[in-house]
Amino acid sequence: MTSILEIITSEYGVHLAILVSLYLILAQSLNLTFGLGQLFNLAHVASYAVGAYATALLSTDYGATFGVCVASSVTLSGVFALLLGVISLRLSTDYFAIGTLAFSSVISALLINWKSVTHGVLGVPGIPRPELFGIDFYDNSNFLVLIGIVALATQVLYYLLYTSPFGRSLRALAEFERAAAALGKNTCRTRNIAFCVSSASAGLAGSFFAYYLNYIDPSSFALGEMVFILTIVIVGSPGSFWGVIGATAFLVLLPEPLRFLDISSAYLGPMRQLLHALILFAVVWWKRDKLFPQRRTV
Amino acid sequence: MLEISDIFVSFQGTKVLNGISCTIATGETVGVIGPNGSGKTTFFNCISGFAPSDSGAISLRGERVDHLDPHLRAQRGLGRVFQNFGIFREMSLLENIQVALESRRERAPGLFPWSKRTRDIREQSMTFLKEVRLEKKANDKAGSLSGGQMRLLEIVRTLALGADLFLLDEPTAGVSPRMKEDIARSIKNLQTLGKTVLIIEHDITFIQKFCDRIIVLEEGQVVLDGTPEQVRSDVRLQEIYFGRDEQPTSA
Repeated sequence: MTSILEIITSEYGVHLAILVSLYLILAQSLNLTFGLGQLFNLAHVASYAVGAYATALLSTDYGATFGVCVASSVTLSGVFALLLGVISLRLSTDYFAIGTLAFSSVISALLINWKSVTHGVLGVPGIPRPELFGIDFYDNSNFLVLIGIVALATQVLYYLLYTSPFGRSLRALAEFERAAAALGKNTCRTRNIAFCVSSASAGLAGSFFAYYLNYIDPSSFALGEMVFILTIVIVGSPGSFWGVIGATAFLVLLPEPLRFLDISSAYLGPMRQLLHALILFAVVWWKRDKLFPQRRTV
Repeated sequence: MLEISDIFVSFQGTKVLNGISCTIATGETVGVIGPNGSGKTTFFNCISGFAPSDSGAISLRGERVDHLDPHLRAQRGLGRVFQNFGIFREMSLLENIQVALESRRERAPGLFPWSKRTRDIREQSMTFLKEVRLEKKANDKAGSLSGGQMRLLEIVRTLALGADLFLLDEPTAGVSPRMKEDIARSIKNLQTLGKTVLIIEHDITFIQKFCDRIIVLEEGQVVLDGTPEQVRSDVRLQEIYFGRDEQPTSA
């Protein structure tokens, strides 16, 4: 009992809590598009990357303040989604998934090859932690309080969105688009808003990710990361607010005991991915008939 | 209320509607019948904006609406009840009605679950559910209802939208005889409220109870338009449904 308490209050426990907070923002925002709106959005990690790089580059190359960096990350990710949405949201579901995947690949290629701006594979080192009201956020406990407040505020915002008229419209059009339109819902605009809000939130998470690690490179935003966030939403049940919160804590913390086993660190990463993949397969098989309500058309 | 002039609709080169023209007066109830493939549902899709017309004009209360998207036509009072149940099965009955009430222009929807506006909308939703005696199932998923109950819910939801013109596509298809009576009562209620109703129906005996007029479609054209009595007694109706008699040729 004492040892568990020690872990929770230790630097390691704080690190885990920061990770859970970050993934809460990422997963709940993906849940809005992928879960509630049934948009197979594979550009979420690209939006996360846009947010992270905006903060990293603005704070290191231009010395921008915390407020400017966070606002820029959120805005840039939202604008990217707006541009992508104008093109992709006119596509049918499958083609939308392909369109967003293509967008992710473009962002990934830009991060690696546009060296004059992104610093290429070397990444962006030396991202300074924010300074607010004289509080030192280099102390991880203080940083946890900051990101904890942001994560909590995001969850409250998403809860209100899910239970709002907007959330109901999104659920309605996901199930039966024509019936939603016949009830006066502008289906295209509703999807676009959901996509922008989701992407802007991913940008917010990206900003805090950059601040937390002090260093980012393109490998943090690979397809594997997208699969992990997707796994959280699927395990939590797409569209379920509380389910995604539970699944985030479960999936982020689940592989941690592996650290305490006598396994080489070379195997630890692949084992973690394997574990997530197995859980994803199991949940998809278990819920194969009821993962998503059947889409209906006239 | 609704004026349709010379509407043509084609899909991949096949003409489905061939120059349909008709006028529906405010408060009128008009039945639309015709054999399978005569273009009845396409006619409704065209009016509600889901099937774009190649040419022709559709006016609602004197305003051209044929260039408008479906949601804008709905906001102008055009209500659609779908043939294959347009309810949201994963939502509760209450939420189905809330979605419609929240679309009404004259009332801003409540943003927070605890706000007075949201509570008002929930109360109004319950009132609509009481009209079709579904209030006890208000929090059940709409997918758990029987076919007839789904129809009632869809009709009352369209009423909650504030529609003036109702397009009912085969409202009694797949419904038990007892529920058919409930649906007939709902349609009569729409008439009492002064709503304009267009009904696609195969059962002419069912619709002649409340229709002022019946339009008969064949191959995308209006071939008959008159009172139920006129249409029933017209020999062309028999010919459309049972085929034309071969005229004996003299030797």
